[in-house]
Amino acid sequence: MGEKILVIGAVAAGTKAAAKIKRENPKAQIVVVTRDEYISYAGCGLPYYIGGVIEEKKELVVKTPEDFKLLTGIDVLTKHEALKIHKEAKTVEVEDMTTGEIKEYKYDKLVIATGASPFIPPIEGRDLKGVFSVRTVNDALAIRELVDQGAVKKAVVVGGGFIGLEVAENLHEKNIEVSIVELISHILPPFDEEIALYAQNYMADKGVNIYTGEKVLSLEGKDGRVSKVITDKREIAADLVIMSVGVRPNTELAKEIGLELGPTGAIRVNEYMETSERDIYAVGDCAENMNLITGQPAWYPMGSTANKMGRVAGINIANEEKDSLKGVLGTTIVKLFKLNAGKTGLSERDARKAGFEVETALVPANDRAHYYPGYREIITKLVVDKKTHKILGAQVIGEGVVDKPMDIIATAITFGAKVEDLEKLDLAYAPPFSTAMASTILAANVLRNKLTGRVQGINPVELKNRLHEVQIVDVRDEGSFMVGTIPGAVNIPSGELYMRAHALDKHKEIVLVCKIGKNAYLSYLKLKELGFENVKILEGGTNAYPYEKE
Amino acid sequence: MAEFNLNCKGLQCPGPIMQVFKTAKEAQPGDIIHVKVTDRGFAKDIQAWCKKTGNEMLELVESETEIYAKILRK
Repeated sequence: MGEKILVIGAVAAGTKAAAKIKRENPKAQIVVVTRDEYISYAGCGLPYYIGGVIEEKKELVVKTPEDFKLLTGIDVLTKHEALKIHKEAKTVEVEDMTTGEIKEYKYDKLVIATGASPFIPPIEGRDLKGVFSVRTVNDALAIRELVDQGAVKKAVVVGGGFIGLEVAENLHEKNIEVSIVELISHILPPFDEEIALYAQNYMADKGVNIYTGEKVLSLEGKDGRVSKVITDKREIAADLVIMSVGVRPNTELAKEIGLELGPTGAIRVNEYMETSERDIYAVGDCAENMNLITGQPAWYPMGSTANKMGRVAGINIANEEKDSLKGVLGTTIVKLFKLNAGKTGLSERDARKAGFEVETALVPANDRAHYYPGYREIITKLVVDKKTHKILGAQVIGEGVVDKPMDIIATAITFGAKVEDLEKLDLAYAPPFSTAMASTILAANVLRNKLTGRVQGINPVELKNRLHEVQIVDVRDEGSFMVGTIPGAVNIPSGELYMRAHALDKHKEIVLVCKIGKNAYLSYLKLKELGFENVKILEGGTNAYPYEKE
Repeated sequence: MAEFNLNCKGLQCPGPIMQVFKTAKEAQPGDIIHVKVTDRGFAKDIQAWCKKTGNEMLELVESETEIYAKILRK
């Protein structure tokens, strides 16, 4: 007889763990229970099903329980809810939700993969018809049905995180007027402000209404259906409301038996996916991770991480030899219309909070050769430790190829690279693919120029807060200057700088501005040559400056 | 009436706006400026530029690989 394994949960991590155990130990007797009616579905694909990019439900559901059984030999009991774990007896009470029958399942090893659930703030009107979260296949089916019926003219998305923004895009593409309400000062909360605002401006340009720093107080309805969202600043008409303010780990079963939770509120596991209780493992969104950079517990409810956790648990359950997941970087990426935005490691804000002395660079560059048709600009923000020069994190945004630089940098961080290492990477280059000095390398060059004092920069966030304390000089040509510059800037084209620099106040901080930062850097060197001490360049130039221009 | 054809593909910084600006200075009212550009920011820039300078945008076509603008010098 093989070991009895019970897995609670059957989306990514649960099915992954079960499948891996069976492959490693075909004798294992594995039962997977889930209260859902679907298993192994592409939760991350739900927004695209709503918008019809994914046409049919069957495309979303990776495997049916029957397919899974045929492929792996594992029984998955759908619509079966685990009610209680008895850790001494090593059994789990499971209710068949169709018949109401309750049965005890014995286990030698238990895998908890209960996932996460959307957090719905306790506001009035949350139970009205037309109010949804986007977590399960049934959520997506119901929203799509309303959309396809033409019953939705105006939608409000509460929460400007990934899922909310993806749903907003998909609804907008269906000619629905979409408004996003976000509590903090910008959408994409994990990103630094200048990157997040770039994405926000982009979405607003596409016609999505965005209200940030605004709190939803209640929802109002007519005849039981939602009709209005009331915030602390306005009322927004809505016949569909998407609640996407975040998810919380499902830890009820674990808590009842006293499993240790981490500071993030998710189930604490070690690198082997073992919980505080012998023979009980936790994987996927219900469990905690370690941040590879800080060494501190973190919670990243991501499909990519869930799958790795499932596999590691599977190997460890089936074998004596142990596999481990030391930690993750929290690497994420999102597509918003044609804009791509990715983040890995720590944001500048996170890095400072974690106690690092930080240097950053914000560098626009092309994703492919500027003479190759179809190239696009991307902006890289690198965050490094000033003392060790180790890379702590990066954010990349633009219409161009973003996933490649993200993955290069995520890989580099994983292997402990310094900015100097990043500069020397031998990356694939031909004009259709990249530039001779790839965007990542260019960003590393700028960052090292800053670290070594070759240039001083000012980030757009800082400049916006100090607009009135500095002399701003736009060094572009007159035509470009006319199109839009930083408020208060004067125009001295770089070619005229030697002749006209005397008009500048040597005792007042000077900020040089151009389109992407390169011309400003060259002008910086000229001013230094002329004896100006207190000079900085606007990092990322006007292109990456996300605030009002004039 | 004269027509000017500008190929600003591959130009970024100094950008195509500078070329358009120079050409507009040389041109006479009623002249037409055609410009082809690959820098994506140009579409927004040229609209802002026309507004500020009072020149008229007759056509603006964006494709995956380039942007074409037709401007009437006022």
